[in-house]
Amino acid sequence: MQIVAPLAIGIGFGFVLQKGRLGHYDTIVNVFRFKDLRVLKFLMSALMVSMLGIQALRSLGLAEEVPVAHSYLVGNLLGGVLFGMGMAVAGFCPGTVAAGAGEGRLDYLIAGSFGLYAGAVLFGLAYPKLMPLLGNLANLGAITAAELFHVDAWLPVLLFWELGLLIFYLIERGPLRPR
Amino acid sequence: MNPANLLGRETWSPYLAGAGLGVVTTISMALFSKRLSGSGAYQHLSGYLGRELAPKDVYWKYVIPTGVTWEVWLLIGTLLGALASALASGSFRVRMLPDSQWSEVFGPSVGKRWLIVFLGTCLIEFAASLAGGCTASLAVSGSAVLAPGGFVFIAGMFAGGIPAARLLYRKRPGGES
Repeated sequence: MQIVAPLAIGIGFGFVLQKGRLGHYDTIVNVFRFKDLRVLKFLMSALMVSMLGIQALRSLGLAEEVPVAHSYLVGNLLGGVLFGMGMAVAGFCPGTVAAGAGEGRLDYLIAGSFGLYAGAVLFGLAYPKLMPLLGNLANLGAITAAELFHVDAWLPVLLFWELGLLIFYLIERGPLRPR
Repeated sequence: MNPANLLGRETWSPYLAGAGLGVVTTISMALFSKRLSGSGAYQHLSGYLGRELAPKDVYWKYVIPTGVTWEVWLLIGTLLGALASALASGSFRVRMLPDSQWSEVFGPSVGKRWLIVFLGTCLIEFAASLAGGCTASLAVSGSAVLAPGGFVFIAGMFAGGIPAARLLYRKRPGGES
């Protein structure tokens, strides 16, 4: 049983979430109101760095087997919509509940832990009716965009960096700047 | 910049904090073959109650392992990391309610906040299980390896979040956008 590695990775995860001010209700909800784009900048930066880092380690032959999340697009999308609604109303996601609890928020630590647990149990009870249907709609399996479109793995990384830099420019200097 | 000052600062630029998350994600994914996750721990603990409620449910029999797994230790680490960060900057404070913006919209009731947190967390954990991951395990760890489902999930998050926020902040103080 590995304990040290997940604890250490978790500590890094919680540390940057707290430093990013992601444990605050207003940080989360205001990205959906275009009032504060901190979440968007944080998410894009994280994706740009991790895409580059993972692909670089892979190219150098230093990466282990990298896990690829399953794409079953209808379920991914429907879950995402419900998830976004919950985020906008309550002001967190599962990881930021832990970050908020760590900075002293008892609503996250107590009500949040019970709620997350209840949601996990409810899903398990609904699974036999729900997932055989939903899991097979637009089911691509564990595949990356590069494999899907038969292009070099570096190409989507490069395109995403260009997109990210463009978005950062538009947010900081251009028309997307929050007013 | 003195590194000690950096650790003690209350808030980092989102670009710096996000890049930090990118490094953590890279280490977890490429060196340990594990996605980051906030929702996974609760899935892996859910069987302790779920198997009592529904002993034959295929979810706990075949789909989701029950136990104190990698994801559970990751969650404990996340709590400790946020605690360390908050202590380092002196921003740790025990509190029952979020900052003022919450109260402007929902009022100052602690009971109401806790009820909405309970219902909200219940919904997002269900939704994350449905989607195949949460912000950490799908939006970040999925998109980081260019899995189409990760990007579709992010699109869904904003497609659900934007109208929900609009509805809540309609005719509220400072709600014009």
